[in-house]
Amino acid sequence: MAILARASFGWLLRHPWQLVPALAGVCIGVAVMVAVDLAVDSAGRAFELSMDAVNGQATHQVVGGPAGLDEDLYVELRVAQGLQDLAPVVEGFASADNVTLTLLGVDPLAEGEFRDYASPDSVAQAFGRLRQLLTGPGAVLLSARTAATLGVADGETFTIVVNGRELAARVAGFVSDDAGEADPRLDGLLITDIATAQEWLDRRGRLSRIDVRLAAGDAGARERLAAALPPDARLIEAAGRTRSMADMTHAFTTNLTAMSLLAMLVGVFLIYNSIGFAVLQRRSIFGTLRALGVTRRGLLGLVLGEAAVLGVIGAAAGVAAGVALGERLLALVARTINDLYFVVNVTAVTADPVSLAKGFAAGVAATLLAAALPVAEAAAVPPRLAMARAALEARARRMLPWLAVGGLVAAALAGLLLELSGRSLPAGLAALFLLVIGLALCIPYAVRWIAYFATPLGALAGGPAGRLAVAGIGASLSRTAVAIVALAVAISATVGVSVMIDSFRGAVREWVENTLRSDVYVGVDRGSLDPALVRELVQLPGIAAWSTSRNVTLETSAGRTGLTVLHLPPDSFAGIALRDADTAAVQQAFEDDGAVLASDSYAWRHGVAPGDSVPLPTANGVRRFQVAAIYQSYDSDLDSLLMSRRTYEIFWDDPTIDSLGLRLAPGVSVAAIVDELRRASAGRQALLVRSNREIRDRSMEIFERTFVITDVLYWLALGVAIVGMLAALLALQLERARELAILRALGVTPGELAAMVIGQGGCIGLLCGLAALPLGLLMASLLVEVINRRAFGWVLDLSVEPRALGVAVALALAAAIVAALYPARRAARASPALAMRED
Amino acid sequence: MSSAERSACAVEIEALTRSYREGSERHVVLEALDLRVARGEIVAIRGRSGSGKSTLLNLVSGIDAPDAGRVVIEGTAVTALSERRRTLFRRRHIGFVYQSFNLIPTLTVADNVRLVLELNGFGDPEAGRRVADLLAAVGLAERGRSWPELLSGGEQQRVAIARALAHRPALVLADEPTGNLDDRTTGEVLALLDALVRHTGGTMLVATHSARVAAHCDRVLELRDGRLVPSA
Repeated sequence: MAILARASFGWLLRHPWQLVPALAGVCIGVAVMVAVDLAVDSAGRAFELSMDAVNGQATHQVVGGPAGLDEDLYVELRVAQGLQDLAPVVEGFASADNVTLTLLGVDPLAEGEFRDYASPDSVAQAFGRLRQLLTGPGAVLLSARTAATLGVADGETFTIVVNGRELAARVAGFVSDDAGEADPRLDGLLITDIATAQEWLDRRGRLSRIDVRLAAGDAGARERLAAALPPDARLIEAAGRTRSMADMTHAFTTNLTAMSLLAMLVGVFLIYNSIGFAVLQRRSIFGTLRALGVTRRGLLGLVLGEAAVLGVIGAAAGVAAGVALGERLLALVARTINDLYFVVNVTAVTADPVSLAKGFAAGVAATLLAAALPVAEAAAVPPRLAMARAALEARARRMLPWLAVGGLVAAALAGLLLELSGRSLPAGLAALFLLVIGLALCIPYAVRWIAYFATPLGALAGGPAGRLAVAGIGASLSRTAVAIVALAVAISATVGVSVMIDSFRGAVREWVENTLRSDVYVGVDRGSLDPALVRELVQLPGIAAWSTSRNVTLETSAGRTGLTVLHLPPDSFAGIALRDADTAAVQQAFEDDGAVLASDSYAWRHGVAPGDSVPLPTANGVRRFQVAAIYQSYDSDLDSLLMSRRTYEIFWDDPTIDSLGLRLAPGVSVAAIVDELRRASAGRQALLVRSNREIRDRSMEIFERTFVITDVLYWLALGVAIVGMLAALLALQLERARELAILRALGVTPGELAAMVIGQGGCIGLLCGLAALPLGLLMASLLVEVINRRAFGWVLDLSVEPRALGVAVALALAAAIVAALYPARRAARASPALAMRED
Repeated sequence: MSSAERSACAVEIEALTRSYREGSERHVVLEALDLRVARGEIVAIRGRSGSGKSTLLNLVSGIDAPDAGRVVIEGTAVTALSERRRTLFRRRHIGFVYQSFNLIPTLTVADNVRLVLELNGFGDPEAGRRVADLLAAVGLAERGRSWPELLSGGEQQRVAIARALAHRPALVLADEPTGNLDDRTTGEVLALLDALVRHTGGTMLVATHSARVAAHCDRVLELRDGRLVPSA
């Protein structure tokens, strides 16, 4: 067997560059997959760890409305009801040195076993400063790593900003895990006693929640506790709460995974191409081996073994590269999550063995899958027959229509899957992939006929070399078809994703412009405005009208609902783009009748239509609110409802305002009012004051940042495709060495030969680009109308920028020409005398 | 050599040397080889396998470059030309017939012949007419649309002959033109090549180890130890 393997593998070792594309295909595909997996997982894990640190061992939580719970409830439950495993918590955000921190106010005496790092034993043993934490003004505990990030030492006082106010905090000690080791869960956490947190967050007498520990399966205790709660409080599972928050990013991460699979798909084409070519090149060797008595099964095992070795090496390299790439992607993923969803503090990927093993297995499996067809072909080689090139091409030509028919069948199946799969996102993505692959399989057939009819044009443009270049495309599809499909898929992905992003960008820009009706917006970084200050600010001269907004999250055991509470001047209501509704009637229902508006995504996700009602937990228990209309929204919070301030104040006792919009009187300058606002708020709250233009620019900046990662992934997919095209053209050139030598012998100059190879590459690229346009547009339409809808519930109109299409064709052309440069150089430099030597 | 002799000379080779290096060893294939071929003459170069016959033809055509010496064809010192000019000279003035035919497998029979005409700037209808005439002359008028690999060896060699003569070159180089053919086909191909080359007044150098092929030639030389000697 060893000599048999040498006979076969020796050929590959003598042509090592042919292994490079296959290895690159596996490696890049696996790297992208592993990187996305690690980045998404690490961000998710960091979030779960931080939630774990904050929640501790709590099994359940008592939560209230937007203003939290009355702290007397804790006393009531503990003393009157005799419940012991309870811990009050006040939670909010603080920032120091531009680092966002989670401010956690706890009662160390009540902590018990809730949070080991905050329990009296741990604090006392580690630092002996329990008394200081309870009594010292501004005393906080934090991890040594967070302290290092902030550049503060034990005992040092430093400035933090909470709700726009600068406050003095003093490091009372460091927290660590049980073994005294640095615990990543504690990074970004600022622990203080409950009274300090209440004071800093302006929540005197209020709690964010009460953590509860209930024995597993003790339904009676849960029911007793639930029964003891007032109407504005609810008992929910701690894990469920974490899960529902993490679920907010589900659609985002699913789409990222889909993009990584695209890179893998293009990689599979590449592997197929390389292994297929390596098999074809050795047909005479395989034929001889068969003549010498090697069985079909023996040959099958031989080539499959080669593929497995390639797969293992490529996948191992891919896993290593994936970890490195993951570090870079993590920053992009974390930034998007911070921009759109919640605060996540993560800087390094966790090389989860499961993710690595998954990527490795996928790489090896993809290699074996891609190699299956060429392997079957190798086994089918009849003894002592080296199939003539023309016969191979003739067979390829015969197969092309069948490939196209197969592709159309796959496309039809994709349509059926879309029709039958309802709202399933994975099914939508599967249909998208099936459709793209199906239609891509039709491209070689189309390319063959286009090349056939375009041959006279080639002659017209480039003389005999031009004619040979164009005619050669149709005559070498057995070698180039797969590379053509891979490049077309990658280019169509760029068209699809570009058109989708363009459509999205246009929709978001219009939405932001319509929604932002004020000239100046005032807010506080991760906090709320002081209501007294708001009352003063709206009285400033030069302000014609004002609006307020408050964003709250209402939690029940069924999940979370984002409620945006608006006070609007009457003429601003028109800024809410309603879907098929009588604006005047809806405005009246919204302002006067207590109705809410549901966002596109809320309506889609919850199956809600105008006239339906939705349950919301109010201060007096759960109440149903009528949905007056559906409105256009591209908010990242997919479970979002709009409510008027008037309605809100009836059902919730919460005077808090998060943001204030000011419309200026004619002739009043934005700069002047900004100065006024700063003067009025000086020494009270550090306000974030932004003009309408700044908010719009910032919104669009966040939008663009969100798609950076998409850009990175599709450029990687395109990179894989370029390597594939390079490999195909190199392979073709190697196989045609004799043919090219004949041309040289007949008087074709090296320059003409190079021009011919480049021209052929260019033609392939151009045809790929043109073929990719309809495919890309179809992909864009599916991304906009199916994938975005199923993932986010957003409604977008397809908007096609001709420039994007031109860029895609140019990209395909450039990619193929770049890929052709090296083969052209080799072809031009090859010695015709050597190439023409008899076999 | 007088100027009259020189002007009657189609090929003039002087002190042509070519060697190959293999590791530290140098193998001399041709050593100070001289040859003159008169216009219209058909010369056979005989020799054992590996004696350097193909190397000589490659040097004459400018496909390969010598270590020393010069090759003059129809008054042009091919060895003094740049690679590009050598190629253009070959395109215009030389036709090739190979043992293994060397047809372009992705072009039809007619397109293989037409290719050299297009390279030499022939357009329609002249190119079409010449292709049709040549295919008729080699007995393949009906096979113009066939793919080369679907033809028999003899038929492929006839296409190669048509291609070699399509642009009416001054010199035809034939490297073992019947080496892959059976006896009967060898006879047919030789008769065809002989007739067509003589008909066009061309000069031909034929590398062969076959006595039968040599018998068709005006002069027979033997390549031995890197030099040409009259054949016994």
